[in-house]
Amino acid sequence: MAKLVRGAAWLVLLVVLLALPLYLDAAWLKAGQYMMIGGVGAIGLTLVVGQAGQLSLAHAFFLLAGGTAYTVLSGPTGDDRVVGFGLDPGLSLLGAVVVSALLGLAFAPVAGRLRGIYLGVASLALVFLGLYFGQSAEELTGGTSTGRAPAPFSLFGFPFTNDGPQITLLGVPIQQAERTWYLFLLLTVLAFVIARGAVRGRVGRSWRAVRDNEAAAAVMGVSVLRAKAGAFAVSSAYGGLAGAMTVLWFDILKPDESEFGTYGINVSIAYLAMVIIGGLGSVPGALVGALIVNGLPQVLALYSADLGWFSGTGDGALTPILVSSFVYGAAIILVVLFEPGGLAAIGRRITQKRLRRQPGQPAEEP
Amino acid sequence: MKRTHLAVTLAVVLTLAGCSTKAGDSGSSGSDSSGVKTGKGVTATEVTLGVMTDKSGVFKNLGLGVTQGNELWAKDFNAAGGVCGRQVKLEEVDHGYKADTAKTLYPQIEPKVLGFVQLLGSPVVAALKQNLATDKAVAAPASWSSELLDNPYVMIVGTTYDVEMIDGLAYLQEQGQLKDGDTIAHVYIDGEYGKNGLRGSQFYAKKHNLTVKEVKITSTDSDLTNVVTGLKGAGVKLIALTTTPAQTGSAVAANKALGLNVPVLGNNPTFDPALLKSPAAGALDKLTIVASSVPFSADLPKAKDVAAKYKAAYKETPNGGVPYGYAVGEVWGAVLKKACDNKDLTRDGIAAALKQTTSANTDNLVAALDFSKPGTPATRQVYAATPDATAEGGVRYVKPLFEAPEAKEYVAPHQK
Repeated sequence: MAKLVRGAAWLVLLVVLLALPLYLDAAWLKAGQYMMIGGVGAIGLTLVVGQAGQLSLAHAFFLLAGGTAYTVLSGPTGDDRVVGFGLDPGLSLLGAVVVSALLGLAFAPVAGRLRGIYLGVASLALVFLGLYFGQSAEELTGGTSTGRAPAPFSLFGFPFTNDGPQITLLGVPIQQAERTWYLFLLLTVLAFVIARGAVRGRVGRSWRAVRDNEAAAAVMGVSVLRAKAGAFAVSSAYGGLAGAMTVLWFDILKPDESEFGTYGINVSIAYLAMVIIGGLGSVPGALVGALIVNGLPQVLALYSADLGWFSGTGDGALTPILVSSFVYGAAIILVVLFEPGGLAAIGRRITQKRLRRQPGQPAEEP
Repeated sequence: MKRTHLAVTLAVVLTLAGCSTKAGDSGSSGSDSSGVKTGKGVTATEVTLGVMTDKSGVFKNLGLGVTQGNELWAKDFNAAGGVCGRQVKLEEVDHGYKADTAKTLYPQIEPKVLGFVQLLGSPVVAALKQNLATDKAVAAPASWSSELLDNPYVMIVGTTYDVEMIDGLAYLQEQGQLKDGDTIAHVYIDGEYGKNGLRGSQFYAKKHNLTVKEVKITSTDSDLTNVVTGLKGAGVKLIALTTTPAQTGSAVAANKALGLNVPVLGNNPTFDPALLKSPAAGALDKLTIVASSVPFSADLPKAKDVAAKYKAAYKETPNGGVPYGYAVGEVWGAVLKKACDNKDLTRDGIAAALKQTTSANTDNLVAALDFSKPGTPATRQVYAATPDATAEGGVRYVKPLFEAPEAKEYVAPHQK
């Protein structure tokens, strides 16, 4: 019975998400897509930090790696300024995920030997490596002056731009904003389902065993190094996918000019915030965290423009960006102080209360 | 029990379907009663222009100044009758110098405007470049990189950073502060802004047998003492800057404190009046700024008029963004009038009118502008100016609009 209730809830949510492009303007779809990018990346991070217990501040690096890989693989051959391989965009997206996973595996020797804050500091080095790489490998990244445009996405020849067949649904033209919404939704659902499966399966159990007690895990036959490497690789793959989605969202791959940008420390910290707010190790929680951390600045910016809020100017003016920073900063503090399990724990408690009226149903662990 | 959940699901779906979708939003283009073609951002009584600015990020002072300049222009333009019987209205949003915020705000503001009178910040312009081309919206970036000139919908009002730097170096050499064969340094922010400035100094250096010591920094570096220490060791005779105002302050302070005392040359965004109240205030005498827009305190008739109107309307400390913002408005006004003469106030009409604009006049707020040659800077002239605490806006010009011979010869990256 519990499964039926949950299944129905997810189904309703999916139907709503599928219908939203018929009602929301392009600006809101754009904001929603940005939340989905955060969701995909946060799912990956919550696996490595929450499930496997490995603190990582390198997520921004994998976003840059994934974005660059997609853009290079799908870019046109013959451009005299930048390298491109001319592959199909769908294949390039897959390639970006694989490249990022391999880079995560390359970091495995470090991840396998360090724990906690030491691993956090070591992984932070990757962000600076990414900053340097982004600026200096101009033939791949396009450089910080002008960047480079990613190839428009298409799947089996169907373009996710305003070109191609004109599709209308209930009188609404399905153009770039709507098509990209469905693409990102598909990727988010895939990311969610795969992560959910991993968490509930053998792989997830081995991660949690390593997180909770490495020695006991080893005794039970889990290869600790292999489990850690696997977790980091999977997390990197998710980061790479989020990175490819980022360049598609921006219509440009442009490496950062400083360590605070689209692929900087601030982004790694934002992803960590999503994971903490949503609940460490919780896959649905990661999505909620992304909604708050990535969605709030966008939504406040849109509302402020529509309603004329935050119209003050000059020093001391409250702005959407400032307010949203306070809100999610406060959310992190509240979560850490009062609800270490995050929003996921609250969700679980509510669900269990409702289900307690059904005798004989054991509470389901994440 | 399954039927209950199915019923709930169906009820939700039917409820959603029952609400009206966003269908029927098709464009309202057509012609008005006097035969003028109209499109997005234009009604029978109004022409709306967009302002995407920074009011809360690192360039908020400049963004505020430019926006206020835009607003002063709109008021004057409307008082003089507007265009095609319509008044100009400005739609303003704050992106906080963040590309992702701008990317989300753009589809919200884009359907409401004919074009953009301000698009502030290189990262924002880069992120929206494809959008502008797709939507054919003419935009005036408050960012003067010649790398932007490969987009026909970008209207750079003023001289680009590379040409500013060439003019500036020529001016200082003319003043005897630089000679052929010297070693100079260029401290620049990695990115569109800094690299474009560097391009100019490299060009000038080649012409005059100068050695350029390149120092790349990031926009968040705040202490340049170590950089200047290194330059002192290298024996540089001049420091060129394409940096943020705060970095300019750090560089000139170190220049003096370390006893280097060489001339310092900055592109137009390197200075902000706030520096005159900063610890670097005593070291600004070595700084020369090159910009194609007038200092706020210029004694030119139009500049005085703008300054007076500014003081009557706003309380903030004025900066060079105000006359620049007003000047952009004047250019837009010229383009709008030409489009009206062509009876086409659509975006295509604006783009065509822009290309026909060979001499947009701003009464010397900015150098005379020629937009008819794609990929080419619209002007190569600059004012040379120095910080002056006694002047409103904190700066006064020391040489009126001029163009160096080397600037005339320079070929911009997208020039044909």
